[in-house]
Amino acid sequence: MAEKKINLTLNVWRQQAGQEGAFETYQAENIDTNASFLEMLDVVNENLTCAGKEPIAFEHDCREGICGSCGALVAGKTHGSHDRSTLCQLHMRSFEDGDELTIEPFRADAFPVIKDLIVDRSALDQIVSSGGYVSVKTGSAPEASTIPIEKNFADAAMDAAACIGCGACVAACPNGSAMLFTSAKVSQFALLPQGAPERASRVKEMVETMDRLGFGNCSNEYECAVACPKGIDVKHIARLNREFIASRTRKKK
Amino acid sequence: MKNTRFLLSSIGQKLLLATSGTIMFLLFLVPHMGGNVLFLFGKDIFNSYAHHLHKLVPIVIGIEVLMLVSISVHMIMAARTTWANRKAASSRHSQKGSKERSLAARLMPWSGIMIFAFIVIHLANFKFYEKSKTMLDGHEVYDVYGMVLSRFQGDLWYVGVYLFFMVAVGLHLSHALQSALQTYGVYVPRTGSKIKAASMWIATGMASTFAIIPIIAYLN
Repeated sequence: MAEKKINLTLNVWRQQAGQEGAFETYQAENIDTNASFLEMLDVVNENLTCAGKEPIAFEHDCREGICGSCGALVAGKTHGSHDRSTLCQLHMRSFEDGDELTIEPFRADAFPVIKDLIVDRSALDQIVSSGGYVSVKTGSAPEASTIPIEKNFADAAMDAAACIGCGACVAACPNGSAMLFTSAKVSQFALLPQGAPERASRVKEMVETMDRLGFGNCSNEYECAVACPKGIDVKHIARLNREFIASRTRKKK
Repeated sequence: MKNTRFLLSSIGQKLLLATSGTIMFLLFLVPHMGGNVLFLFGKDIFNSYAHHLHKLVPIVIGIEVLMLVSISVHMIMAARTTWANRKAASSRHSQKGSKERSLAARLMPWSGIMIFAFIVIHLANFKFYEKSKTMLDGHEVYDVYGMVLSRFQGDLWYVGVYLFFMVAVGLHLSHALQSALQTYGVYVPRTGSKIKAASMWIATGMASTFAIIPIIAYLN
């Protein structure tokens, strides 16, 4: 691939926990267009460190779009693009020489800033830990075809399970709602026989936790689905609503 | 207690919001529009419709009470959810890169407040307003047709205000119909949705139908 170098101006949100934050401007010079967005930030941080300044704190882990660690709002878009990819999968070839980019954390009241671009997304973990699992006896893995599952159900459950919990949906939502996330976590079990025994209690408790943690309400504006790097669809939100209504009549097992 | 917890959860509140809205839409707005259409057929038909409607007093009062309950529930739930939403997203991003959110959706609380203001004005203008009498088939009936006509005739200011509020009704409905269905659990797809399109057309159609009366009356 042809090598091309570009220069960018970055307006980056800098904040220490518990303090007021502000944008600061940095120059990203001589950036290889084959580099990923996080590699570009690595270069900027290297220069900041050499100049004796505090590097920009950002979260990352796998850098291949499956862990859900990275994420920031770049030029108003979660993960820097709405092309079904995470920030680490965004490449500098998506930008032009001389571009000015605003980079800020995933903001929501339920996501307090820890430092710079890192936000505390443990509220999502709390939603999952209040019912987003199946209680099973541990032991060796069962034979996969013991429980037959119709392919379209398996596929739909897999689509929901693609959620990596990055929090882009919450950040994109005008109401800071976690409905898309919660709906994916409820759907992946609601569609499968393994999820049936705890079906009613799961949705009730997860919605209750979601409400308690300061997320907003869904107003069906679908910004979340545009932002989701994994293409989680709003049909899961419709399912979550159905599951929640049905949980009133379903017997608690 | 369990019911209260269910209904005051985030989804429960939205279900109350959607249901109270649906009740007002089906039992008030749609019949009202149907009645209005009769205005186009002239004085006798419209006055006869109004006369017969008044004979159904027990049903009318029942529906009026239901509307009062619905609008109260609707406004309380809308206030609660909007308040929570504003709070949950109080720290906002400096840029926004998606235009997915429709204008109608963004304006829901404002169009809602405007519709409420309109209902108050509208009731004062027509319901709690002295009506003269006229003769119809040898009976003395209220001249509702004449009242509507005199309201709008030659008063461009009145016509303008009514048309303005009809835009609010149209905007509110275009998001409300599809949003209520999604809240009930009916999947309304993000793109290429027939429900979204129908929602838009019904809203436009109804707002336009309501807008016809002030225009016709003005031109008459």
